Amino acid sequence: MKTIAKTLLAVAAAAAFGACTTDEPPPPSDLPEGNASGGEDNTFDHFDTQVDVWELLERLQAEGPPKYTSRVHSCPKIRYATIGRLLASRGVDLGNLADVTAGDLYASGEQALGAPNYAARVRENAEVTTAGSSRLFDIFVAAAPEIIANMPNRAECQIGGVGVSMFDGSNACVPDGISCLLGVPATASHIELCNLTVQRASDPELGKRMAVAVLAAAAHTCE
Amino acid sequence: MQTPDLRKLFAAFAIVGAAACGGGVDTTGDDVAGDDTVDPTDEWDERLEEREVDYNAALRIAALRLTGELPTLVEIKSVAEAPIEQQADVYASIVGGYLDDPRFARQMVAFWQDTLKMGDEPDFDSAAAFAAMVTVEGRPYTDLLTASAGTCATYDGGTGAFTPVDCTNGVAVHAGLLSHPGTQRQFFSNMAFRRVRWVQETFACTAFPAEITDAQDLGGVALYTAPWPFESIAGPETGGRVNFLDLSAVACANCHATMNHVAPLFINFDEGGQYTDAPAVIVPVEGSPLAAVSDYLPAGEVTSWRLGVPTPDLPSLGAAMAADPAISECAVARVWNWAMGKGDIVDTLSTIPSDVIAQQVADFRAGGHVLKDAILAVFTADDFVKF
Repeated sequence: MKTIAKTLLAVAAAAAFGACTTDEPPPPSDLPEGNASGGEDNTFDHFDTQVDVWELLERLQAEGPPKYTSRVHSCPKIRYATIGRLLASRGVDLGNLADVTAGDLYASGEQALGAPNYAARVRENAEVTTAGSSRLFDIFVAAAPEIIANMPNRAECQIGGVGVSMFDGSNACVPDGISCLLGVPATASHIELCNLTVQRASDPELGKRMAVAVLAAAAHTCE
Repeated sequence: MQTPDLRKLFAAFAIVGAAACGGGVDTTGDDVAGDDTVDPTDEWDERLEEREVDYNAALRIAALRLTGELPTLVEIKSVAEAPIEQQADVYASIVGGYLDDPRFARQMVAFWQDTLKMGDEPDFDSAAAFAAMVTVEGRPYTDLLTASAGTCATYDGGTGAFTPVDCTNGVAVHAGLLSHPGTQRQFFSNMAFRRVRWVQETFACTAFPAEITDAQDLGGVALYTAPWPFESIAGPETGGRVNFLDLSAVACANCHATMNHVAPLFINFDEGGQYTDAPAVIVPVEGSPLAAVSDYLPAGEVTSWRLGVPTPDLPSLGAAMAADPAISECAVARVWNWAMGKGDIVDTLSTIPSDVIAQQVADFRAGGHVLKDAILAVFTADDFVKF
């Protein structure tokens, strides 16, 4: 394609120039944006969905080539429906839609959390976004009291019919409770962070809520 | 620009080019275009070598994707407390159980809604339900393209049960999702090209142009790169109302050589996805006339999946696609990307070198295209359990 050939020539020229100066040349500004759009007078003007090669270059530099990236896990956000089940399975009442409850924030956060819009042929957004993460963290803060109170009653967090709690009678963090909240075995770092958060708070109840929210937010930013 | 950056830039171009014509996968795992050698010990290989097996982390991801829920405390502890030499078996056993869990059916419906870009309306959901049913029941993946009955399935979220239902949109012989009323309605457009694009991107994992060969200079501004004879598609001189042979700005034919040989198979579906006796899509020219086959192909040209693969009707198109190696590789690539948390293989250009999934693809083909088996293979693959 001549369009691509021109692009390559421009890039090669820019690269040759850059080799002499060590400065990064800016992307050429007069190159076509894709190869599906012609002038309105001579071809049908397609909506251009081509990947921007400069964005792709930036991604390659940051993340590595496909032979690497395809073999390592990415960090997609948790699906909207999965977030709901995660909360419910750890004791959150999603039916409680009172203001600023976890149920309310979840129900009203569909867009922020990247739910799909199939009517517009849009899949669920797998990317972690600032808006989505902010809403998710808000949800965990609101959900923390319910998780602390109800986790022992959830079958998912029981062993032999006996439930585990997030905290013991002295407000110390319980490893099995952390494990059930995170979905992975609690590490020494998890336990230390949890206990420090409780101890350094202005009061233990507030500290426990913060500890649950912080641990959940850190663990569940990515699916 | 320093040498590594230049190498990456050429790699970027190579990826864009390969994604357009290479089955959504790179032919090698190397990252430098034009470099036939594979350096097994570059910085990226070293990073891969630094990964360590972590079945605990793998279990959490597998549970979230295959069941839509976190693992239970019992599952977490059974892996964590298993002797090291038994962890792989314990993990595989739990993942195998997930695939037989009713929650897996729910997850497959969601997976297919996203893959097909359809959902939340009954006819859209029935396409995802059919694809999920084929997956959950261990039927051949190729049924998505060839099944003649039961393709408007329903899914009961309460029981996790699928029910095959025959589509009633007027099609004489169905061809899986290719003749499904929901897919036809969702991707209705001028000249049915949106339907063709959806078929290509969903099942072949690449954007158009789908077929590329050595470039030819035909005297215009743009070069022609499709393998079809240039005049195998319509222009005003052959009675078409759109000049697909235009070379004055871009080479329309680079994409349309393939598209125009497929699109006529979809033009009789109307805006609601019903099959009619006459074309029901319009040509985007003054007056918005209904399309005719002559708008796509000159007289004598026949509809085809690819050059040399004639497909006179939708069942034959489905059969041709089912026999295309790119389709089976695409199926495994989609599962791989889903498991590894990637975005859509076409939309985000999350390409996969062929050698990365070669074993899974070979097993998928040898095992009768059972996607459920491929899912188990991917979720227990070395790369999946390493971090």
